[in-house]
Amino acid sequence: MEPIKTTRFGDMDIEKDRVIRFPQGLPGFPDEKQFVLMEHKPGSPFMWLQSADTPDLAFVVTDPFLIVRDYLQDAPALDRDRIWEKNGDKPLLLTIVNIPQGEPRKMTVNLQGPLVIDVQDRTGKQVILARSGYSTRHPVLHE
Amino acid sequence: MLVLTRKTNESITIGHHIRVTVVEIRGGQVRLGIDAPKETPVNRTEVYESIVRENRKASQAPGDLDRIKDLLPAEMRPKSK
Repeated sequence: MEPIKTTRFGDMDIEKDRVIRFPQGLPGFPDEKQFVLMEHKPGSPFMWLQSADTPDLAFVVTDPFLIVRDYLQDAPALDRDRIWEKNGDKPLLLTIVNIPQGEPRKMTVNLQGPLVIDVQDRTGKQVILARSGYSTRHPVLHE
Repeated sequence: MLVLTRKTNESITIGHHIRVTVVEIRGGQVRLGIDAPKETPVNRTEVYESIVRENRKASQAPGDLDRIKDLLPAEMRPKSK
């Protein structure tokens, strides 16, 4: 596979089997269908979801359960079915982090639109929760 | 935009797999029933647009995440020293 060009990380040689396909793209980015998930640094809570096709497109993502321990625990069936389509599904759930330029204290995570990644198939999608009451702008820092 | 007039219990079919039925009309509100394949997400437009907006904003992520880690709550701080 050709190296993936990125503005933040330079050219990256990525094994083909590390690419995650998003067949439907993401809301706002319907043509972005291939991403690579990378650790930020060992031990960091952040990861990067880098587009394989657009060098300057990368999202900061994190584990939503670090922020809300009982995330989705009481989600209604309608929303649960959007995430766990099949019995026995154990997808990787991630949430996109929004860090305003120059105001990192105001960082938020989008708990209403989690990323659901099937680790076996290496496919992903962004699910929009309809009835769970989670915010697209859930603050990470309190006070 | 295509505009069609429908009564209660009438529907429209979009493509081969999507059907939208007028379930109830009352006051200024219309209740719609939507049958669509699982892989076709159906959302209220304002909710969908709010996800679009957040995604666009989040795509402008700053590269200097390291400066942020001291701000994080304890359970999110990097585990290695």
